Amino acid sequence: MKSIKSLILFLLVAIATTASAVYASDVYFESKWTLWKDPDILIWTVDKDLPIDPREFCLSLKRNNTAIGDPKCRTLGEWERDSIAVRYAGWLSNNMEPGLTSNYLKARHPSMRGKIQELEDRIVMFIADKGSNLQIAIFDETSSEPRTAGTVQKKADKIALGDEIASTFFDRKTSRRLSKEERQKKLTEPDDYYKEVPNLRAWGGISAGYAQAHVPVTPYSWVHRHVKSQVRNYRITRDSVSLWNFIDDSTPLFTLYAGAIWYGFIGGEIFYRYSNHTVKTDKSDSVYQELDHWEFGQHEIGLNLMLTKTYSPIKLLDIHLFGFIGFQYSFYAEDIQLKKGVELGSKAYRARIKFEDVYKGALFGGGSQFVFKDHYGVSLRTGIASRGKNIYSDPTPDAAAEPTTIGAMTVDWFISLGLEYHWNP
Amino acid sequence: MGSFVKVLTWLIVSALLISGCADSYQWSKSHPDYHKAPYGDLAVAGVQDAFVLTRSAWFAKRLQVSTDSIQILGTQFCAQAMIKEMKGAYSNLIVLSENALADAPEESQKLDDRIFMKGKLPEQGVVVKDSAGNIPPQILLIHEVIVGTDLNRESFFDYAVMHNESPERTAAKNISAVVSYTLWDNEKQRPLFSAVDEIQRPVTVMTWEELDALVRQIVSEIRKNLYMGAK
Repeated sequence: MKSIKSLILFLLVAIATTASAVYASDVYFESKWTLWKDPDILIWTVDKDLPIDPREFCLSLKRNNTAIGDPKCRTLGEWERDSIAVRYAGWLSNNMEPGLTSNYLKARHPSMRGKIQELEDRIVMFIADKGSNLQIAIFDETSSEPRTAGTVQKKADKIALGDEIASTFFDRKTSRRLSKEERQKKLTEPDDYYKEVPNLRAWGGISAGYAQAHVPVTPYSWVHRHVKSQVRNYRITRDSVSLWNFIDDSTPLFTLYAGAIWYGFIGGEIFYRYSNHTVKTDKSDSVYQELDHWEFGQHEIGLNLMLTKTYSPIKLLDIHLFGFIGFQYSFYAEDIQLKKGVELGSKAYRARIKFEDVYKGALFGGGSQFVFKDHYGVSLRTGIASRGKNIYSDPTPDAAAEPTTIGAMTVDWFISLGLEYHWNP
Repeated sequence: MGSFVKVLTWLIVSALLISGCADSYQWSKSHPDYHKAPYGDLAVAGVQDAFVLTRSAWFAKRLQVSTDSIQILGTQFCAQAMIKEMKGAYSNLIVLSENALADAPEESQKLDDRIFMKGKLPEQGVVVKDSAGNIPPQILLIHEVIVGTDLNRESFFDYAVMHNESPERTAAKNISAVVSYTLWDNEKQRPLFSAVDEIQRPVTVMTWEELDALVRQIVSEIRKNLYMGAK
């Protein structure tokens, strides 16, 4: 039963679509214009007789667009008798062609432009007879160019013709007409979208995210060796170039941060990041039977340089896109515990791997802050962070004899979602 | 890592180049319906009072005319030379009378972000007729021809620089002309092609013949651009 219903519905829609395609109307261009509720439609033509009946056209409008209310339609006699308007009308009907944008149809005569500006909230519909079809152009007070223009096929039946014009040009949302006082007020109202770029915009935030060694869109083989590696006998791995050989790379990540942007363009951010990584002990190694847990807390502090660009798609929302590049220091706090009852660990336990005191690294990435009502922000950021040894130390003669730095090439990718508070100090 | 830095540097440099060196102008504008340049038949208007001579003292001295009369003599000479040259170029040239556009308001046409050319254009819906009462289909409206030495069209038409003071006058290298014109569709009353051209002609000894040659060069430049502007 349900399927039959939907089939009927589909057929109806299909018929309606085909029927509208049969309508030989053609809209050349259409710009955003306001169709008022209960509008005054002034029908302007310089031809001898009007192809539509104003009263019937009003009914067509009501039939076609229930939101239109109670339209009033009449012929625009004052323009039909004005020589400048007559000249422009002739010109318009001569020049209206498909492919031309509205600015090619602009009224140039100062007096004609004045007439259009004086329309207030009435809508002028220009009609010119071109033999087999009618040219239609719609004017309102906001522009000396037609707001929309096109043609409809000429019909002897005035009602059918009115219906077609109404469905082609007046099938749109309507707004309430403003009173004289409201219009006056609207003229002096400030622009919603006018906004000064603050000299300084600052924020503080907290975010939660996720980090892993594998950077998306890069081959997994780059990190496969590090991620799959396990620690035997408290210190043995295949290599030690990355800390991810020893500790788990994919973990939650928490960040506290504060930053500021000057002139909506350049700024900085200071941050503290924390994540906890367990050591990937080889379960088959019996030496770990004494071990309760072994983890490293990763503490990082750093500074980012940021460049931003702001968009304001709606009044309440600012979107700040940004890119950042920065440096950080990483500290690893070991948390290791033997099982209860084990007094002194094995020899391997006492000679277990030690990480460097501090790693220096860089990070870069980008993201976006979505700030509502100038204060309440949600931010999304992603990037790549590294930890390495301090490359700025001078090489010593016995550098070759020194052991290699453990984890000198520890890179991961992170993504985080933050809550922020913004203010303009 | 090295290649990444290279790519980044390259991107930054190219971005700077694109943003820094984009300071070129668009000096002409065609109507979407301008498909064919005039050939043979053309009317021309505005030539009689289009010419303006700058550096009149310089011209007066070299052409051995008194400073008082050089403006009148010079512009008359140029206008006649231009009409003569155009008659040679278009077999059915109609020269419209001086007051054909007398009532038309002066309007500006935008060619580029900062380039606006001014000139009288006939009213919408009003056709211009020649003295015999015929309606020429196309009219070349010559708005202004500035004749001088070493002129740049930017300094006349770019509103951001046109109030800058000109540099110290040095020895003239070229005699030059800056011409603004519109090809007018008289049947549909719309501009088909509008442009500002700059003509430079190296000069060592300034004579009336040189001035005549400059005017001929102006006409050939206009003809070339009318042809190039058709789509």
